[in-house]
Amino acid sequence: MTAVEEKDHFFRDLQDNENLMTEILGSSVDLVKRRITFHEHKNVQAICYYTDGLVDVIQIELFISDLLYKGNWLLQHSTLPTGPPLTLLKEHMLTNASFQVVKEVSQAVDGILSGVAVLILDGSDEVFVIQTKGWEKRGVDEPQTEQVVRGPRDGFTESIRTNTALVRRRIRDPKLRIEQMNIGKRSKTDVNIAYIEDIVKEGLVEEVKKRLRDIKIDAILESGYIEELIEDAPRSPFTTVQSTERPDKVASSILEGRVAIFVDNTPFVLVVPSFFWQFLQASDDYYSRFMTGSFFRAIRYLAFVLSLTLTSIYVMLVSFHQEMIPTQLILTIASGREVVPFPVLLEALLMEISFELMREAGLRMPKPVGQAVSIVGSLVIGQAAVQAGIVSPFMVIIVALTGIASFAIPNYAASFSIRLIRFPLLIAAGTLGLLGFSAMFALLAIHALTLRSFGESYLAPATPFQPNDQKDSIIRFPWWKMQTRPEGVTGDEKRVGDHQFPQPPNTDPYSKEGGKGKEKDQKDGSRRKKTRRIIKLKGEDEE
Amino acid sequence: MKRHLKWSLLLILILLLSGCAGKRELNDLALVMAVGIDKGEEENAFKVTAQIARPADARGQTGAPSGQTGEPILTIVGQGESLFDAIRDLSSFTTRNVFWAHNQVIVINEDLAKEGIAQVIDFFTRNPELRMRTWVVITPEKASTLVSTVTGLEVIPGEAVNKLFRYGEISNVAPNSQIMDVQAAYLSQSSQPIIARVSLKEVMVSNKKPEKGPTIKQVDLAGAGVFQEDRLVGVLKPEETRALMLFTERLKSGVVTTPCKSKPERTVSVELRDQMFQVTPHIKGSEISFTAEYDAFAMVVEAGCPFSIDDQEQVTKLEQAVEKKLKKEIDTTINKVQKEYKTDVFELGKVFHNEYPGYWKQIADDWEEVFPTVDIKVSVNVEVKDSVLLWEETNSGKKENSAN
Amino acid sequence: MKVQISNGMFMALIINMIYAKAIGVTQGSMAREVGGDIWISTLIATIQGGVIMFLVILVIRRMPEGDLIDQAARLLGKWFGKFVALITFIFFLASYGPVMSTFVFHLKDYFLPEAPILLFIMAAFLLGTYAIYFGVEVIARMALIGVFSIIALNILLMLGSLSEFDIRELRPTFQMGFLRTVWASRHHNTDWAMATIMAGIILPMVADKKSWGKMGFAGIGYGMVFIIMWPILEAGVLSPETAAQYIVSCMQMARSAQIGYFIHRYEMIMIAFFALSILTQIMMSLLCASVAMQKMLGLKDYRKVIIPTAMILSAFGYWINFDKNRAIDFLEGWWVYISLGVAVGLPFLILVMGFLFKKKLKKENVAEEAN
Repeated sequence: MTAVEEKDHFFRDLQDNENLMTEILGSSVDLVKRRITFHEHKNVQAICYYTDGLVDVIQIELFISDLLYKGNWLLQHSTLPTGPPLTLLKEHMLTNASFQVVKEVSQAVDGILSGVAVLILDGSDEVFVIQTKGWEKRGVDEPQTEQVVRGPRDGFTESIRTNTALVRRRIRDPKLRIEQMNIGKRSKTDVNIAYIEDIVKEGLVEEVKKRLRDIKIDAILESGYIEELIEDAPRSPFTTVQSTERPDKVASSILEGRVAIFVDNTPFVLVVPSFFWQFLQASDDYYSRFMTGSFFRAIRYLAFVLSLTLTSIYVMLVSFHQEMIPTQLILTIASGREVVPFPVLLEALLMEISFELMREAGLRMPKPVGQAVSIVGSLVIGQAAVQAGIVSPFMVIIVALTGIASFAIPNYAASFSIRLIRFPLLIAAGTLGLLGFSAMFALLAIHALTLRSFGESYLAPATPFQPNDQKDSIIRFPWWKMQTRPEGVTGDEKRVGDHQFPQPPNTDPYSKEGGKGKEKDQKDGSRRKKTRRIIKLKGEDEE
Repeated sequence: MKRHLKWSLLLILILLLSGCAGKRELNDLALVMAVGIDKGEEENAFKVTAQIARPADARGQTGAPSGQTGEPILTIVGQGESLFDAIRDLSSFTTRNVFWAHNQVIVINEDLAKEGIAQVIDFFTRNPELRMRTWVVITPEKASTLVSTVTGLEVIPGEAVNKLFRYGEISNVAPNSQIMDVQAAYLSQSSQPIIARVSLKEVMVSNKKPEKGPTIKQVDLAGAGVFQEDRLVGVLKPEETRALMLFTERLKSGVVTTPCKSKPERTVSVELRDQMFQVTPHIKGSEISFTAEYDAFAMVVEAGCPFSIDDQEQVTKLEQAVEKKLKKEIDTTINKVQKEYKTDVFELGKVFHNEYPGYWKQIADDWEEVFPTVDIKVSVNVEVKDSVLLWEETNSGKKENSAN
Repeated sequence: MKVQISNGMFMALIINMIYAKAIGVTQGSMAREVGGDIWISTLIATIQGGVIMFLVILVIRRMPEGDLIDQAARLLGKWFGKFVALITFIFFLASYGPVMSTFVFHLKDYFLPEAPILLFIMAAFLLGTYAIYFGVEVIARMALIGVFSIIALNILLMLGSLSEFDIRELRPTFQMGFLRTVWASRHHNTDWAMATIMAGIILPMVADKKSWGKMGFAGIGYGMVFIIMWPILEAGVLSPETAAQYIVSCMQMARSAQIGYFIHRYEMIMIAFFALSILTQIMMSLLCASVAMQKMLGLKDYRKVIIPTAMILSAFGYWINFDKNRAIDFLEGWWVYISLGVAVGLPFLILVMGFLFKKKLKKENVAEEAN
């Protein structure tokens, strides 16, 4: 390390350079040093450095053979003007697509470690950096955490270039900018920021960059590191940074004026700013027809409410407010609870925890064993526990329902945070009844209200109420209605053109001007355009 | 900020630790399904009979096997100087907290009702646990007997009485008296409470000795109790109750049976629909009178003699017969209430108050004396409009001359 | 950064500020005086509330960058400002009594009769201080959700009780005479007083100054629409006598409502919707009292006085509600005089002072603009 710090430029002498490299890189088995004699007449020596496993060996062979045979022949027979040897070689001989001439040692070293080949020629204080990256990659696969019924099946991989390409393929817009950063003192992880220049909210990119630049850490192994280091509410149970495996989700977020953060070596891409309701929205909503999409979205909102409150409400009702349960129902519940030895709160905690245990165990086990776990778990909890009189059948139903509801939340991280906040709610409801439940709920609500994600209110567009954004909140409006981008977008707010309502040309057989329906509509459309409400930038003023 | 956090955490902890106040586990509750109130053995004492559900027996086994006794209810009796005292007494021998929120019916013995039920009304409306839609009934039997009688298809008698009222619209023999209605009528300046009346009647045939006919007693809706303030002053029979209910409730249906014109030993039954009842007050000088107009559509639901709605003459005759019968019914009830019991359960005072607030102020205090003297004219108008599915008469095809 | 709330939020705050107490406790008080005419009294009070609100908006508009206290200080010097701050503080201190009464009577009496009052006071303290630490914007946004929950609550109640509605209970009108009906409106006026003085404190934070008046009146209008249903139903469903008998008549009605025979009681769902409104009241009382305290002490940030202020208010709330008789006596007696005195007197005083010292106000406005 010291040598790099002391000296940042290569020597002219190959031997010196070789010593320097040995000092910096040491002797790792995967670091290959290949010595070649490049020019037989003059006995010009060269050394090629690369990291085995990170490079495509065929490419290296190709360029070495180019260098040896073609170079030799060329130098002997042509009447090339004299000049810096490396530039000459680069311009006239080598066929590799990406090719750089580099002076700094650190750059060369970083290159070697990230999978390029470095060629050091004797008598030159510049070196070749040849792109030969090519390591074993997992192919583009279906995303594991966010499945859809209708929609693209490709998911992000561990390779950052593949990931950015997946997004670029969806948005072929020159304004789509992907900027490079390196984070991590030792890991030097590639981090890319993607956004569309004329859509993204003002100042957002700078803010993201600033926060990323401020990260001082030795290594970034997963985007979770970055997430925790840049989020607005580090102490909150809510996630204020969205992570996703789906390129289409990232693309749509970018189109809505947000910023995506790609991190190398992980399929999880971060999207900021994020809003609470997004976590309940799945890509399917937009791909299936708007009625079904809205219905399933409504189901997911229900799932959210259920998974958050159902157990608490049950515990609260059964241990404090029995008068609120319908008589028929309470007799049924009471008959099931007749022999249960635990208080309801304890029973609920017991069941919740065993459910979490089962989920966790099923997750960590190898797939075939995982199934066995779930079978054993459902048998033990669903049957034996009830038969043994440890829990009441009703509680099993409640906990199972809560569990299923929490699985219906499409975002994994959000589903976890909801699971977490369920417990304080449960304990408060079980100890203080309605007062505890409502106080804890209000506390959580106030907390969520105070949250911001990169300057945006976390609970938007519900509160602050943004009337225009309601088209994509509780129900998803059809695309021909959802004409504008979300609030906060600076330019190009309109995303869907006017009169997009599809119509066959001859809609009304009884109309006088049969067949002219479309034209008529267009006339209307132009009139509509004039009176179209101008969308204010500050949506909060519009309530 | 950090200090605030610590303080608030401490506060939350204290809150949670001081919690569990008022926590009652469901297994520690004795769910009362019906309550009966009798006069106690001592002077001015109460006897409270609580019918408590045994959930495991009432619902069958839903969870782990629990000791089932086969008896879905447990009926216990407590005594005390006040209702609260008597209920306290209950808790000295129940193993669980007596829980009143699911009480379906309050049964009051008539002897007690004659002395006044203000205390009962107060107790059952003061407590937050209790429902305001609980049925209140009076009974000539001992309330304790009535409460412990297993009735109908239900396992729990309380539920049975509840359902009797719910589906009792067809029979129209007792008013739907809920505690909130009784309370409102008692508090009101211008109207008096009425409470449904139930009794025990031998209507159930024993499966073991069917030849003996109905021997087992069941709870039976039997008219209404008429109150003056909080004291029971009289009882209306089931057939008289329908007329009373015209004044107080919006009726949905009712059945009138009249003898046939052609065969007086046979009858025609009509069901009344869309009943309208309008009471209008009048003042002439200082004389107060009311006119009550009754309008209804009727539909022939049973004909003992050949009857076709096509026959206009027959229909008119039927209409007249029904009108006559109804008018008599209403007049009888009015007479009984007005002249015999002298209490304004018809809410006539309220009607008058609405129409003539100025004059009401002068007579409000003497309304009790004025009410028996006011003149109530009843006019009834029934139109037969429907004969359900049949158009032709129901006649034997063998007879040659079947028409009457 | 200056805290700003949108006009919609301001409207929502007004609605929530009056709703919680007006539908139940107030109606009970009024029913004890005028019986079935409570809805008329409610209407009359709303009109009076509108007048006071107009007065406050008029006053604040003259100097839109400062609240009532700032304007008083500008007019007659620092000490007069402190005096107004003291009066405002006393007003909100007193208001905390009835507000806590509403909170405690709803939750404790109907749901947790065995829990100690202190628990409720502490819960309110905790939630209140936590929320006002983040400022008025958070409360205002909560109030926005509160409006939706108020609508839900109203619909739920109507579903459960309209079948029992009897128009005859509402007739005839003005049974107790016109004057008594007007006089009874003072109980509902106290609710408006709270909303008005609150407006006097937070109006400068409302974003769009031009539509203050419009929004203020829209808030009053919507508030009235949401509230007026209650006295009509309470009289028509429960009968005026029953409404008068109970301390919290709206809970009595909620307790009597049923949807079909299966959902025989659902007041808990209703109280869940109601909670946001009462929490807004608690928080705004605490916030305004803290701001008044801060201005009285001449501090820069009101957050420093949150805890002491909340403690004083909570202690007062506890003392008042410990004895139900004291609570109702205060609510129907002293609180009426304090609230109406302050709500009418204070804006009026400043208005008149403003006319007398018009020049001062203008001069400094000009000076400020020059700066």
